[in-house]
Amino acid sequence: MVKKELLKNEQIERVLSPHPLSFMKLQTLCIFVIVWGIVVWWLTEFSEYASMFSGNIWYPLILWGLVLLLIGVIASLLAIQWTIFFLYLGVFASALGLIFWQHWENDITLFIFIYSIAVSIVGFLIVELYRRSHKYIITNLRIIFKGGIFTKRERTIRYDKIADIDAKQGVLGQIFAFGTIIPVSQSGFGLGSDKTMAAGGVEVGTKKARFFGFAGGGKEVQTPIARSYYELHGVYPYKDVKQLVENLVQSHVPTQYQKEQIEFQKQQVDIQTQMRDLLHKQVSDKPQKKAVRQQIEEEEEEEPEEEVVEEEKVNRKKTAVPEEAFQPEQVDVQQQMKELLKKQKTARVTQPPEEEVEEEDIEEGEENKST
Amino acid sequence: MANFPLNIDVLVVAALAPILGVVAFWFLQLFFIETQKRMLSRLRHRHEAFCRFTNFIGILFQTMCQALGYTVTRSGIAAFQVSVSYGTVEPKKEKKGVFEWVARSFLLFGPFFIPAGLVLLVSYFVIGRGFVFPSPVQYTFVESLTGFLVSLSTFANEFLEFLVNIDLFNPVHVGFLLVLLFFGLGIRPSYIGQERKEKIDILYDLIHIKDHLVEKPLYILVIILLLYVFYMSSLFLNPVVYIGLFTIFGWMSLTAIIAIFLTFPVLLLIRATDEIRPHWKIIPFLTVVVSYVLGRMFFIYFPTKQVEGVSLLVMLLSTVLITIFLIKYKRTNRFKTATKMKHMRVADGKKRTSKK
Repeated sequence: MVKKELLKNEQIERVLSPHPLSFMKLQTLCIFVIVWGIVVWWLTEFSEYASMFSGNIWYPLILWGLVLLLIGVIASLLAIQWTIFFLYLGVFASALGLIFWQHWENDITLFIFIYSIAVSIVGFLIVELYRRSHKYIITNLRIIFKGGIFTKRERTIRYDKIADIDAKQGVLGQIFAFGTIIPVSQSGFGLGSDKTMAAGGVEVGTKKARFFGFAGGGKEVQTPIARSYYELHGVYPYKDVKQLVENLVQSHVPTQYQKEQIEFQKQQVDIQTQMRDLLHKQVSDKPQKKAVRQQIEEEEEEEPEEEVVEEEKVNRKKTAVPEEAFQPEQVDVQQQMKELLKKQKTARVTQPPEEEVEEEDIEEGEENKST
Repeated sequence: MANFPLNIDVLVVAALAPILGVVAFWFLQLFFIETQKRMLSRLRHRHEAFCRFTNFIGILFQTMCQALGYTVTRSGIAAFQVSVSYGTVEPKKEKKGVFEWVARSFLLFGPFFIPAGLVLLVSYFVIGRGFVFPSPVQYTFVESLTGFLVSLSTFANEFLEFLVNIDLFNPVHVGFLLVLLFFGLGIRPSYIGQERKEKIDILYDLIHIKDHLVEKPLYILVIILLLYVFYMSSLFLNPVVYIGLFTIFGWMSLTAIIAIFLTFPVLLLIRATDEIRPHWKIIPFLTVVVSYVLGRMFFIYFPTKQVEGVSLLVMLLSTVLITIFLIKYKRTNRFKTATKMKHMRVADGKKRTSKK
């Protein structure tokens, strides 16, 4: 990974890729093609049943194709993935096309044998290429998933956004110590569903009147599932990687005590903010008080002849100044401040005991240092 | 009804002959299992995955036997779990007494016979020869034992003849060989642990079996009585049935022994290639395939009798020779790979020393 892609203070913990046997499902498709090709070749050329296929030159191809497609259908139904069937259909159609194009009708059995091996090798290479396109980077801040042969895909998940970790290890994984880890995000990324559906139809009736009935049902199960380039697919060594990811997630998730601390600190910050605002308010009110005084003095200077008349007024104003300096609003502010201080004190009292102990320890330490 | 003299030999002692035969072959099977386990435990530090694979097969069969025990005793199966390090079967109903004892018997004896029985079933369809039941003229102890041994030797001859002339160009034969090797690695009741001597002692299994048998002597007595009743009834109806039953158990043991024996060359080859440098160690494995294919192709142009057998011999000889050659000239750095050189931490966690 280029260092430019890393965030500030980000360090790479591990760079992983899937185990060579982790895509065994795809490799099995190739293995079946190669094995079945060899079996058909042996069956039609060397076995005691060879005479059964000598009647028609197309018999070996029909047998090979039918079984291939049948297995394709079964595998597709089991895996709920019709691409397997279409893949085998493509293999069969290509074989048929090649035979007609190159006029290999007389050497069909040998063609099936060689073609099966060739197709399987190509299949293995594609699977290997696909496997190598995956790269998982575990850093101290996030997991980066990269994959795709032509279309490059990338997913990043921060540890604090991981809600759940799903881990699975098949038999091969247990033997060769690899496994798949799916980090499920808080938004639900990494969760999928297994859908099964059954349907049936009945048609009853004669030429004119027909009755058609249809019944169906489905079931959906929510399960952690993701594309291989969005999960840590078949990573080796599984246990170490799982431990590493879990530790990193744990280190990014605050504990209950830490949560309480954060809450307390938030309260403190709020109180201090409020106090600051109130002080600002109080300070901004003081110039107003000064302005009142200045106004009185000016009035005194401007109207000396009316001293006697206005003396009472001035006295009244003078006495009113302190009253105006502490207007009802300001009194409220002061009361609020008092309340906040009280709140702060009570909050300190209700602080978790650990902190008190820590503080005591620190104090003791300081005392010791001073002594 | 067969004609036989009614004396103590026929009425009592002859009944023990096939039982003794089965026990003898079972002990031989135990010996082979023990040898295999020791070979595997030596490989463990280098071939962890391979040992885990063999453990998985062993545990799978053991768990299946336990499940079969619960099924037979109608306890039901509540949970079934198999992994490379352990297997779990939980019964639906906790039955006590004879049912519990029978279920436990399946767990202890099943792994020796049930996988072997499956191989025997496959071999019946693939080989199809040598399954001859003994028919002694006089049902004495010696006659019964001889008949039992003859039946087993006939089976062994046919089996070995098939293996010697196995056609590795025949998918059915290749499949059967793979089944034999697969089962051969798993016909054992205990697994190869992390430590060298963990659970690999022959006495480990025997002590458990002995404890199990001694625990309920009354059940053993009942089984002996039932067997005797079965012997007496078969003696008067069809004496071959009694010996035939034990002969099947003998075949199972023999099949297990052959399957385990076949894994020895594989284990030896793996062990031998450890002595060869990393990039060269693939060559002996390639030689196995290439030499056989070349041998068969050679004999297409120069036809001879027993092409399969000779090709197999060529394969074995060339593999052995090339492996020896590579060990001699492309030997890996022993100083680096020796087990003794593996460092280990001492108690203080700082000092590192080599194993002694």
